[in-house]
Amino acid sequence: MYVNPRLQPGAPTPSTRSQPNPFEDALYGAGPGLIRGGLGAYGEKFLGSSSEYVQSNISRYFSNPQYYFQVNDQYVRNKLKVVLFPFLHRGHWTRIMEPVGGRLSYKPPIYDINAPDLYIPFMAFGTYVVLAGLLLGLQGQFSPEALQWLFVKGLLGWSLQVMLLKVTLLSLGGVEPPLLDIVAYAGYSFAGLCLAIIGKIILRYMYFVMMPLACLCMGIFLVKTMKRVLSAEVRSYDASRLHYLLLFIAFAQFPLFSWLGNISLNWLF
Amino acid sequence: MAKEFNVPPVVFPAGGNPAAGNLQQRRVPTAPFQPPRPPSSSLPFMSFDIGSATSTAASTIYGGPIGGGGGGGPSGSANFDDEEPLLDELGIHPEQIWRKTRSILNPFRVNPAVHTDSDLSGPIILYLSLCLFQLLAGKIQFGVILGWIVVSSMFLYVVFNMLAGRNGKLNLHTCTSVVGYCMLPLVILSAASLFLPQASVVRFGIAGAFVLWATRASTALMVALAEGEEEHRGLVAYACFLIYTLFSLLVIF
Repeated sequence: MYVNPRLQPGAPTPSTRSQPNPFEDALYGAGPGLIRGGLGAYGEKFLGSSSEYVQSNISRYFSNPQYYFQVNDQYVRNKLKVVLFPFLHRGHWTRIMEPVGGRLSYKPPIYDINAPDLYIPFMAFGTYVVLAGLLLGLQGQFSPEALQWLFVKGLLGWSLQVMLLKVTLLSLGGVEPPLLDIVAYAGYSFAGLCLAIIGKIILRYMYFVMMPLACLCMGIFLVKTMKRVLSAEVRSYDASRLHYLLLFIAFAQFPLFSWLGNISLNWLF
Repeated sequence: MAKEFNVPPVVFPAGGNPAAGNLQQRRVPTAPFQPPRPPSSSLPFMSFDIGSATSTAASTIYGGPIGGGGGGGPSGSANFDDEEPLLDELGIHPEQIWRKTRSILNPFRVNPAVHTDSDLSGPIILYLSLCLFQLLAGKIQFGVILGWIVVSSMFLYVVFNMLAGRNGKLNLHTCTSVVGYCMLPLVILSAASLFLPQASVVRFGIAGAFVLWATRASTALMVALAEGEEEHRGLVAYACFLIYTLFSLLVIF
């Protein structure tokens, strides 16, 4: 479904869908040409290898980015509540499936609070950069170059979080979710981080309260999400190994957040 | 005296034939004067002939009008009057720029009709004036502001088109034009901040008000220019707010 139908004439075309969804198939949309060209290139690279098994798993490796931007105000508000206060989420954590053109796929974020999206991570990252600039300015150390290095630091932190989640999922075996899913889950950490930095701006000592809280909430969120992702794959794995890895994810948030939250002129540390 | 001599045409050192020679000299003042140059000079206009068709070197230095004049020179003097005015040829329309800028000046109601054809010359003028006011404040940030404008308009373009989904009709030129024109409140802020005390609540308050003005203007324009995006208004507004807060950090600190 995520593969470019242009290259696969036999695949189910968009017109045979039971529920016409104008948001799917970014490749047909009038979206940015760069992204469309990039996806086309990926599609050709993956389709170069022959087997049916690989083809059926292409959608697992790089999915359609437009799916992650099908959001609205209400989704954003509720999702922020789930990310920042995961212990208050009363419902279940599973994503809703729907049959589309003969294959099961997940519902887009508008219809499903548990679906990952990329709007919140991008905005949270931007907010982190702006708040970091504000904090630097209030300390009297602002300069555009410092802010640019903080941007790079944020990107590094994001990719470290992605690597952590990816390594965990890989070591437990099975087929992993698409890369953009993992990027989205990792990016949610910036929302809690921004709250902690707001606390730092308001009152210096509030930071030492808000930061562990943010780490804890993000840890709970990631543990619950990874557990749901892994249990979706019915595989036999070592239950204790799973628990140790989930605990490791939760504890790894503490050094990561304190590194990202340490905003000063020496950007690397 | 009936014998005809084969007289080669008189060639000025860096000019064409005499008929067009005066014309060219009017626009290429250096050609007949031949300033002394070192022999190792590789300046292109030393080695060509204005009257000939290979005047591409001149046109790359002096731009459109000369190239057009150089090409049409040998055929007579009428072409100089037929040329377009310089600003039109460059695509800069001062009245349009002024009209668009005035439409942003009203913080409560934005008129998207004047912004339908996007241009980049207004944003460049606003960018230069922002840099000028920053320079007056002692901060040399020409490259920084230009780089940030480019990156933030690309960011807004990607986010807006992804949110719009299938109907994403915004193109990068329009996006940059909107982001650039809505920098007007920030230009006014940087002018005002020259007179405000450093690190005071007044400074932050006024900056906040101007950032909100810029956000409101740019959201209204973006939503009006790419039709059918009403339901994502709040989401686009937050993206614009982030961009203008970033620029206001440069002004405040």
